[in-house]
Amino acid sequence: MDYFRVWLASARYSLVRTMMFRGDFLIWSLVELFWMGVNLLLIAVIYQHTSSVAGWTEYEMLLLVGTGMLVQRLLMGFFWSSLFEMGRNIRTGAFDFFLSQPGHPLFMASTRKLDPDGLANSFVAAGIVVYSVHKLGLHPGIAEVALYAGMIVAGLAIHYSIMVISMSLTFWLASAQGIEGTYFTVVDFGRLPREAFRGVASVLFVWLLPVVVVSNAPARTILHGFQPAWVAWLLATAVAWLALAVAVFNRGLRRYASASS
Amino acid sequence: MLAELTKYRQVFLVGLQSNLVYRWNFAVRGAFSLFHLAVVFILWSAVFASAPRIGGFGFGQTLTYFVTLLVLQFFVGAFNEDYQISEEIRNGLINQFLLKPINYYVYRFTIFGAARLVSGALVLLPLAAALPLLHPWLTFPGEPWRVALAIPAMAMAALIQFTIAYCFGMLTFWFLDIQGFVILSMAVESVLGGQLFPLDLMPPAIFHAAQYLPFYYQMYFPAAILTGRIGQPLAFQLIGLQACWVVVLLGIAQLLWRRGLRRHTAVGG
Repeated sequence: MDYFRVWLASARYSLVRTMMFRGDFLIWSLVELFWMGVNLLLIAVIYQHTSSVAGWTEYEMLLLVGTGMLVQRLLMGFFWSSLFEMGRNIRTGAFDFFLSQPGHPLFMASTRKLDPDGLANSFVAAGIVVYSVHKLGLHPGIAEVALYAGMIVAGLAIHYSIMVISMSLTFWLASAQGIEGTYFTVVDFGRLPREAFRGVASVLFVWLLPVVVVSNAPARTILHGFQPAWVAWLLATAVAWLALAVAVFNRGLRRYASASS
Repeated sequence: MLAELTKYRQVFLVGLQSNLVYRWNFAVRGAFSLFHLAVVFILWSAVFASAPRIGGFGFGQTLTYFVTLLVLQFFVGAFNEDYQISEEIRNGLINQFLLKPINYYVYRFTIFGAARLVSGALVLLPLAAALPLLHPWLTFPGEPWRVALAIPAMAMAALIQFTIAYCFGMLTFWFLDIQGFVILSMAVESVLGGQLFPLDLMPPAIFHAAQYLPFYYQMYFPAAILTGRIGQPLAFQLIGLQACWVVVLLGIAQLLWRRGLRRHTAVGG
């Protein structure tokens, strides 16, 4: 409950800050919107030349990519700025500030800032998902929608974990500028259907790196209904990666030398 | 003239040294770009599994296009030059150039050249490691005119890339934060520069219109020459248009520099 109150206070602060820099909010919302448009354009161009990719039709692919975008926008909205700054703070020693706060440093450091532009665009991503469902002529029931939402939360936990692990590397590396790019490199695989991966690529990018399941599992739930294997896979991956992220962060924290002389 | 060359030769050498300090950053970036290549490989092999030829090209030709694009990106692409210029303006570091007989554009372009030499050389290492996997699909047309034309096309592509980044850096004279503009333009460049998909896969009307924009000449044009996606008559015709864009962008850069300096306040002793 206390954590929720701390988070609420941070969220209120972030909203007030956004209202102070409305131009920034507008530009960053446009930036994210443009990048989402770029991804949709790629699908539109590909499906001009073919009717199916790895067995997925155009609107099925749109649903998959929209699901991936939704998880990514939620990460941007809830955690990105805080985690990005965490890396910088560890480098400069400003991370001391979070260690002196009454809560787990990972929670305090990763929930300090909210990005309303990312959250605004998560509605656009959700709109893409709804549009594809409509074009596919699907009518998912309340249970399937609730399951989809739960799976999005599990996917968010996985993306959060990848980002925490990437930024925690700053504890070990002296020069880790641009390390956040690791996240984008890894999640790039999430916009591809599971069936597109074969052989070594399947082992590496589907089983070892958990990003393919993040978009594929919820999209399949909408397309084919409840599939226990996919749900179990997603949940188990979320728990395992979250545990790994906390462990890596705690391990790194032990190396943190602080800024005080 | 010789004194001018010696001056910028020193700048180039300093640029080379300072970029070699970041050799690991470039090497890691180069290695990570292989992941991007893996996404491209998986996606397009799935696309070509259902349609053996797309836009008149096979999977091998399309993969060759993306590999060429990757190499070009590290040899002629602008990385963070816009941020560097923006920082120099914001922190007042450009003040020193206002008092010295140094042209700021040429100075920055010389450093850009040194940086691309280092990053270009370093991307070849991970690519060489991936070559045994990629080799069966790589297919380059053997016509000599393509190499002859690609060299000036790549040089002008570097000029266009750098000058656009330079212009964005110049915006710092008017705006506090240019990051939003830069990332917005990256999205436009990735589409109209052919980084997302070969431009010729777009509807003909849009593809034709894109030829009149500078983004077409940033990456797609030299890559299309090298990988056989463009024929000889059109390539010779368009290289003239590319040269026109270089002149126009240089003019804009010069205009922004002069106008920006009027707004600039140099403080300190």
